[in-house]
Amino acid sequence: MADVPAVEIRSLTKFFPIPFRRERLVAVRDLSVEVRPGEVYGLLGPNGSGKSTTLKVVLGLVEPTSGSASIFGRDVTEVASRESVGYLPENPYFYKYLTGEETLRFFGRLCGLRGAALRDRCGELLRLVGLEEARDRRLGGYSKGMLQRIGLAQALVQQPRLVVLDEPTAGVDPAGSREIRDLILRLKGDGITVLLCSHLLAQVQEICDRIGIMARGRLVREGPLAELVSIENQTEILVEDADPALLEALREQIARSGARLVGMRKPQTTLERLFLEVTGGLGVSEREGGK
Amino acid sequence: MSAAVRHTVFSPGRVWAIARNTFTELVRLKTFHVLLIFGLVVIGNSAFMIRFSFQEEFQVLKDVSLGAMSVFTSLLAIVATALLLPKDVEDRTLYTILAKPVPRFEYLLGKLCGVFLVIGVATLAMAALFWLVLVLRVQWVTASVAREMAGAAPEQVAEAVAKVRAAAFTPGLASGFVIVYLKAALLAALTLFVSTFATSTIFTVVIATAVYFIGHLQGTAREYWLSGAAPSPFSRIFLALVSLVFPDLQLFNLVDDIVAGTAVPPGLFLRTVGMGVVYVSVYLLLAQVVFARKEL
Repeated sequence: MADVPAVEIRSLTKFFPIPFRRERLVAVRDLSVEVRPGEVYGLLGPNGSGKSTTLKVVLGLVEPTSGSASIFGRDVTEVASRESVGYLPENPYFYKYLTGEETLRFFGRLCGLRGAALRDRCGELLRLVGLEEARDRRLGGYSKGMLQRIGLAQALVQQPRLVVLDEPTAGVDPAGSREIRDLILRLKGDGITVLLCSHLLAQVQEICDRIGIMARGRLVREGPLAELVSIENQTEILVEDADPALLEALREQIARSGARLVGMRKPQTTLERLFLEVTGGLGVSEREGGK
Repeated sequence: MSAAVRHTVFSPGRVWAIARNTFTELVRLKTFHVLLIFGLVVIGNSAFMIRFSFQEEFQVLKDVSLGAMSVFTSLLAIVATALLLPKDVEDRTLYTILAKPVPRFEYLLGKLCGVFLVIGVATLAMAALFWLVLVLRVQWVTASVAREMAGAAPEQVAEAVAKVRAAAFTPGLASGFVIVYLKAALLAALTLFVSTFATSTIFTVVIATAVYFIGHLQGTAREYWLSGAAPSPFSRIFLALVSLVFPDLQLFNLVDDIVAGTAVPPGLFLRTVGMGVVYVSVYLLLAQVVFARKEL
């Protein structure tokens, strides 16, 4: 069973008819992707490259023109294949008239959860995403970050083996974004497979094991992230408390060896780290006041 | 690892979850405010009719109340149903629901059952209000009859009071409420079908309302065209097509007979209920045929 891919897309092609015209829009062309169990796979690409259509096919929302897709060996045209999937759409909208807890209960019931099991699971998820205090507030009063977190909680309600995230940090502030990133890493630690689409390349780089890059409906590059982004003929050395003499000696040594010194400079902190330092790592309840 | 119960092809639990959620949505959207308008119509009408004879008063009260019930439940059915599917598609809430192990048919059935619940509660509330006003008016009229006949023999008073009650509580009023409910349920199913291919709530409301009027007029039009000496084959084919596509809402005019005090044979009542159930089932199946192929 461990050999069965979490997601397997085989020669997927999807055309959309254009109303009143004879030609068709090619959204995805001959795409083959395999996501292994337990890995975090990032599907990248510019707008209109076919990422969302691919996800919709995987979730059974759209039928492929040709080719097929399966989740843990079950064809995506079978409704039962979605038993193992949790999905967070881009900019999720839920029923604004429901409270956070009611939302989780609703989605839990759709997955067959009932009674004490459902109640306990909702409480556990509200704690996990830091929305315990907002559990009785209607979603109409939630901020964007809170909606994203309740969206993530509903995706996890039936303890799925695969989580599909479409732009999970879109419109979320850096601290919220970091929390979602940590949550994804935690899911990975629990052995859950994650398939995500994102435009935030720095974040993808931090969390993905493998990535696929799509352009104009085709997969143009795929592989383990470390392999794709590393520069094979260069080495980076970071030294702390080095005096100028030592640095000069290093330069001379490199020159003598025939290697080329590409650069020597002070490393910079990331803007995200700076932001979190100056905002003092505020807690969820202080930061997320809602509307 | 999964906490969910093993998937079944059809689950009443999932349908109930969607129906309950739809009911909550419509209640919180304040659709029941229509009951206030109904209340005003019934109470206002009752107050206005005091000057007429009690036979006329009860007749008009029943006529107006059941007519208003029919209009308000039909309106509620069309508008409430038209809000559901296009809104879920537009807000992409539908993606999140169908990404769970929920067959599309269960989603449609759940939405429709939610609307049925709303219409059911509204019909019951309107019927209760109408009944209350009717009972209060009967009490008022019988008290005044008794006062006017203070010196008469008790048998004469009892006979007069019985006349008042007979004029008010015509048999089969409860059947009238059932028919009003069925007509609204049919319109809800029809609107759900329209919303599976419509692009917006407004478009859905316009089409469903147009079908409502055609449904009321088609019986009369059919009778008129077929009453000629020799209707052309073209007319016959056209009328047959119209009868197939549009529901014959005049079937539900049985309510008029009930209000007039005419006894409705149980066979006719059951046939009308049967037709209502058939229409609802056909529209639900048509909705499923379109929705199953819909690309989201």
